[in-house]
Amino acid sequence: MKKIINAPENYTDDMLRGIYAAHPEVTYAEDDLRCYCIAKPKPNKVAIITGGGTGHLPLFLGYVGEGLIDGCGVGGVFQSPSGEQIYNIAKQVETGAGVLFLYGNYTGDIMNFDMAAEMLDMDDIETRSIVGADDVNSNANPEARRGVAGIYFMYKAAGAKADQDGTLDEVLAAAKKAGDNVRTVGFALTPCVVPEVGKSNFTLGDEEMAFGMGIHGEPGVWNGPIKIADELAEESLDIILKDMPVAEGEEVAVLINGLGATSGEELYILFDSVRRYLDAKGIKVYKAIVGEYATSMEMMGASISICKMDDELKGYVDYPVNTPFICQK
Amino acid sequence: MSQVTRKEGILMDKMGVEDVIEMFESVAAIFAEKKEELCEMDAAMGDGDLGLTMNKGYAALPGLLRDNSAEGDIGKMLAKGGMKMSSVVPSTMGTLMSSGIMGAGKALKGKTELEPADLITFYRAFADGLAKRGKTQLGDRTILDALDAGAVKAAEVDPAEGFLAVATAAVEGAKAGVEATKDMIPKYGKAAVFSAKAKGVADQGAVAGCYLDTAILNYFQAKNA
Repeated sequence: MKKIINAPENYTDDMLRGIYAAHPEVTYAEDDLRCYCIAKPKPNKVAIITGGGTGHLPLFLGYVGEGLIDGCGVGGVFQSPSGEQIYNIAKQVETGAGVLFLYGNYTGDIMNFDMAAEMLDMDDIETRSIVGADDVNSNANPEARRGVAGIYFMYKAAGAKADQDGTLDEVLAAAKKAGDNVRTVGFALTPCVVPEVGKSNFTLGDEEMAFGMGIHGEPGVWNGPIKIADELAEESLDIILKDMPVAEGEEVAVLINGLGATSGEELYILFDSVRRYLDAKGIKVYKAIVGEYATSMEMMGASISICKMDDELKGYVDYPVNTPFICQK
Repeated sequence: MSQVTRKEGILMDKMGVEDVIEMFESVAAIFAEKKEELCEMDAAMGDGDLGLTMNKGYAALPGLLRDNSAEGDIGKMLAKGGMKMSSVVPSTMGTLMSSGIMGAGKALKGKTELEPADLITFYRAFADGLAKRGKTQLGDRTILDALDAGAVKAAEVDPAEGFLAVATAAVEGAKAGVEATKDMIPKYGKAAVFSAKAKGVADQGAVAGCYLDTAILNYFQAKNA
C-alpha cells in the first residue's frame, strides 16, 4: 500500500481535520468531526443532507456548499455514517422548511438514514428521502441499482430548487426528476486499497480492465483486455441508451467522471469519444462536465453519465454553486 | 420525573420513567448472563458476535435512557436512547435492536407513564420497528419470529389482568416462536450460507429475542413478588 497517511485507522478523521482547517465555510455538529455541516445554514430553506462512506471525494461531503446541499454524514472508508450522526447534522442545519435526505442506494446507508428520519419525525421535523440509483450495470431492476456519479445531477437539481425557496416536496420532485433521467456506466483499470485492509479490493492483470464494476470494487460485467476510448464510449453508451432511450434531436448533459487516478487528459479523450458517438446519433450535448466527481480513492478508471435535458433540468445544471470542492459561476 | 408511588403489597399498575429504565436493567442483566451462550450459538451459524452485540448494546442502554429522561416523556426517551445505542453497536443486529426500541418509543410518544395496555403496544411496536428497518418478513428465521409471536400472544391478554399477565403471555408466545424457527430456512446473513445445518436448530436471533421478553417478565415478577 502506497498512501500519504499517518495511520490507516486515522484516515477519515485526519482527512476531515485537514478539510475543516482549510475551509472555514464548513464545520461539524455535536463535537463529532463526521457530522459535516455548512457553517451558515440559509434560513427557511429546505435542508438537503447526504452521507456515505469516505473514499469518494469530492463525493459526498464536497457537495456541501452554496447552491447545493447543507450537510453530510461521513462514514469510515466505504462505511455508512450512523443514524445518530445524520440526525445530529439535520438538527444543526435544518431551518424550518424540512429536510431532504439524498444519498446512494446502499443497504447500510438506507437503514441509518431511515433511523434518522424516524428520530426527526419524533421532533416534528418533516423529512423526505430519495436515493441515487444510476449504475445501469449493477442490476436489471432500476430500483435495486447502486448509486454512483449520476447523483451529481440530483444534487444540482435539489440544490437549485431549494436555493430558489422550493418547498420540501418541490425539492424532492426536482431530485427525482434528475434521478429518473440519469444513467451511468463505469469501468476500472486498477483496483483501490482500503487503508485498514492494506490490500487491493480486487485484482486485475497489467493489461486488464473491469467493465461495469461498482465504486467499492463490486464485480462488474466483464474483466478482460483493455479497450480503446472509442470502444469504451460505444459499449457504455449502447448500454445507457438501451436502458434510457434518447431520441434524435434531444439534448443531454454528459458527466465524464474520473475514479481517482486517471488523468484529466484521458477524461477529455473519453469525452471526445462520447461526443462523436452522440453526434452520430443526432443527440446534442447541452453541457459537458469533465473531472472528478465521485472517485474510488486511487482507482484508475472513469464513468460516463448521461442526463436527459429539458428546460427545467437545464436550469438546474446551469445554476451557480460554490463549495470547497466544486465551483460553477 | 414521574416516579409512580406504589403501596407495599399492591400489584404494580403503572410504570414511570424510572421503572422503564429499571426494566431495561433487567434486560441488560440477562444479556450479560447469556453472552457466551449466544456467541456459541452464533459461531455455529453466523458471525459469532451476537452475544457481544446484545451484551454491549443493552449494557449501555439504561444509561443512555437515563441521559434522555429529563423531559419525562417515555416515548422520546426510548427513541433517543435507542438511536444512541445504534452508535454503540453499529452492526446489523445492533441497528435492528435499536430500531425496535425506537419503534416502541415512537408508539409511546408523549406518555409519562405506562399502563398494561401500553406494554402490549410496546411489544407490537418493537417487533414492527425492527421488521421495518430490516425489511424482514415473518418466517425468514430471524429474531422477528420470536418477537412477533410474543407481541401476538401479549395482545390476546385483557390489559385489566395487569403487567405480569401481559409479560407472561409475551414469553409464552416468544418461546413458541423460537420453536417454530427450527423448521425455517435462513434467508439473511451468514446463516443463509449454513442453511443445511439450520434444520432442527433454533435461530440464535430468535433465542435472543425470547431472552429479551424473558428479562421483561423477570422484571415484573421481581416487582410483584
